[in-house]
Amino acid sequence: MAAHDINLPYVPTWCAGCGDYGIFMALKKAMTSLNLDLEQTVLATGIGCSSKIGQYMNTYRIETLHGRSLPVATGVKLANHNLTVIAEGGDGDGMGLGMGHFVHTARRNIDITYFIHNNQIYGLTKGQSSPTSDLGAVTKFTPAPLGNVEHPINIVKMALNVGATFVARAFVGNSTQLVSLMEQAISHPGFAVIDILQPCVSFNHTNTYQWYQQRAKPIEEMEGYDPADLEKALIFAGLWGEQIPIGLYYQTLRPTFQDSLPQLSHQPLAQQKIDNIDITGLMQKLY
Amino acid sequence: MNKSYYTCLFGGEAGYGVMSAGSIIAKGANRSGLWSFVVNEYPSLIQGGLNSCLVRLSNKPITAYEETIDFLGLFSQQAFDCYADKLSPSAIVLYDAATTKIDATKVPEGTLLCPVALASSIPKGGAKIMINSAMLGAFAAFTGYPKQVLIDVMKTEFHNEKVQQENIQILDEVYHLVMETLSSSKVFPFPFEPKAEPKMLINGNEAISIAAIKAGCKFSAGYPMTPGSSVLSYLADHGAEYGLVFKQAEDEIAAINMLIGASFAGTRAIGSTSGGGFALMVEALGFAAQAEIPLVMVNAQRGGPSTGLPTRTAQADLNFVVHASQGEFPRIVLAPGDIEECFYETFRIFNLADTYQVPCIILTDKFLADSSVSQLPFATDSLTIERGKLFEAKEQPYLRYENTPDGVSARAIPGQVGGRHIATSYTHGEDGFYSSGNKEYALNEPMVTINSMDKLYNKLPAMEKEIPAIKFYGPPNADLTIIAWGSTKGAILEAMELAASQNISVNFLQILYISPFPITATELVLQQAKKTLLIEGNKTAQLGSILRANTGHKTDYTFLKYNSRAFLPSEILAKIKEVLF
Repeated sequence: MAAHDINLPYVPTWCAGCGDYGIFMALKKAMTSLNLDLEQTVLATGIGCSSKIGQYMNTYRIETLHGRSLPVATGVKLANHNLTVIAEGGDGDGMGLGMGHFVHTARRNIDITYFIHNNQIYGLTKGQSSPTSDLGAVTKFTPAPLGNVEHPINIVKMALNVGATFVARAFVGNSTQLVSLMEQAISHPGFAVIDILQPCVSFNHTNTYQWYQQRAKPIEEMEGYDPADLEKALIFAGLWGEQIPIGLYYQTLRPTFQDSLPQLSHQPLAQQKIDNIDITGLMQKLY
Repeated sequence: MNKSYYTCLFGGEAGYGVMSAGSIIAKGANRSGLWSFVVNEYPSLIQGGLNSCLVRLSNKPITAYEETIDFLGLFSQQAFDCYADKLSPSAIVLYDAATTKIDATKVPEGTLLCPVALASSIPKGGAKIMINSAMLGAFAAFTGYPKQVLIDVMKTEFHNEKVQQENIQILDEVYHLVMETLSSSKVFPFPFEPKAEPKMLINGNEAISIAAIKAGCKFSAGYPMTPGSSVLSYLADHGAEYGLVFKQAEDEIAAINMLIGASFAGTRAIGSTSGGGFALMVEALGFAAQAEIPLVMVNAQRGGPSTGLPTRTAQADLNFVVHASQGEFPRIVLAPGDIEECFYETFRIFNLADTYQVPCIILTDKFLADSSVSQLPFATDSLTIERGKLFEAKEQPYLRYENTPDGVSARAIPGQVGGRHIATSYTHGEDGFYSSGNKEYALNEPMVTINSMDKLYNKLPAMEKEIPAIKFYGPPNADLTIIAWGSTKGAILEAMELAASQNISVNFLQILYISPFPITATELVLQQAKKTLLIEGNKTAQLGSILRANTGHKTDYTFLKYNSRAFLPSEILAKIKEVLF
């Protein structure tokens, strides 16, 4: 597969300078270098600028409802566990409406990769606060002087706490690392999450490229780093200020949800023959 | 005793095996040439409260029940207080004086009051659920229902040998105890045929579940909500055997989105819930419609609004289900009226969902979902799977939403070579693409919108032609035409029989599929109708408003019941007489 195989003849409609371009490019690179079969790949997105990514990529795609990419992706994966299933959406999509689904998808460790475009703002609805907006952030719905008074959700901490088996944070300005993390996440058997820090150039004038650039620091260069140690990962996840660690926080292997189901041990549900199913036994049980 | 029906009711707190006593009697009857109808009533409680199980038996098929009790088996005081006034003349009341005080002034004259020491017949350390075996022993002795038939059912119901033996022993002891004191009062009116062809004892949810399995459904997701849950638990129980996965989701929103995902990926899928859960699913209902992904949902109605009456029946979600979601789109709403329709129409609706790529809703209610009736095995030879238009690799370039004369375009399934596309919740063009920021799209947006809406509605003519939307019963030129939907069917049919025996001429238009509304078929019936009577289990005559909107017909009379219980044939007959005379 070549990179251009993924392209569709549509020009993305993101604002000039939007972080989504970087994520888009990185995903295409990661998929190319993994040589993914585009016909065996499903990209499930939510709603928002982030989720438009599905409109521009020539795989099988399902653009769902706001916050619902993960349950749709779960249905896809259970119907055909041979597919590579990637879910994508924003911080509002995934941590607002989608939070319940995020928690439960993580704890069931189904083999889905989830990329969260985190720009700490609602972009497509033009500048409201998001579940990951910093305290004090001034947005359309949290005006000055107070700004946002709710504690932001730390996606990495959240993912670690609810049982995701691959947890990373990336910065779109560090493309090499982002591509590598994406490759690892897609290859990881189980629920893999990357919190991708991504500026919104139109509505978030605080968390800019420069802001992230100054803070993002490769986690593997930090003292005591051990991606096999959940307790350590949680400590690193708490760092959000002068230093924000980027890289793989934690990875472990435990049985995936679909591997725990004997029904899926032979062939995908979608490939089972359904003509002439014999229900005589079920009826006889009711005599 | 010359009766056409014999009705037993067992009542007591949850935990005494009230319902299993009833089902053992019904199953025994089913295996011996009789027909049964079993109605369970229970509050939303785990322990205590009043559970009741009514078993109506006959030597001919039964489609409804009446609350005229010939045998009342009491496990608690509350059961007596609640059912004493429903005893038929010369009924038997069986009770344990240790737990229940009988006020003889509250029962009809001629009632036979029979105290039996039920609780004390249980050996030390035995579970209180064994009391139902004592009850069954006494029941057989008093009525003449063959004891051996009950024992034979117990042998197949109790899989644990020790439990089976203990229960049979208790039954036997109490049977003999009662027989010793009894002169002769064998009142059970029907002969048993030991070699009769067996029948199933099956409820609506079981019929739907078995149909789904037969239809090749391989995935189900849901969140428990009475009375929809038992479809889910049935599929969970039998999933491994049939290669079906049931996923309990974190909420109903996740459940329906999982179903949509699975269906998009090529697997037939079904969900089941009640009105409150369906309310949460509405968001995704429109998504399935917009993305043209087949979807099959069961809504087993209970009382409302809101949490309403979790364990009681109602027919009040019709308008909601027919109109649910923002925007507009065609959908199929099926309202089965009996077990056969639950089975055969559920099988059919999987084919319809695939053929038309629209959301399909099976609208039942607690009464139909939960009441068990005798049913001969379903005939399955002529049931064939139809998957609708499927993409084949040679058709390039592939447009998932290609405009076709019948509005249906070929589906490609992820994994298929050459079938890559986007399925989206946005209004989209033939290739599925949406973006008002895209210059070409923006220029054409009004036309794309019209075309995509017309595409959805272009499916209607074929749908209307194919869907067997109404059923008609009774003489064509009757004095009165009853119009109804769903589970009222059984009571109406029995009321019509009663009416016919009194030379009252009534016919019945059953609206089997309510959306798309069968305008032509209904109008043909209405043109012949002399007077019309609408019967529904809701406050506001919901089918009436749909009927009026579609045909302009306002029924002459309405009979609405919304007290959380099902219609009885006797009250429908009374209404028929009131209307006609």
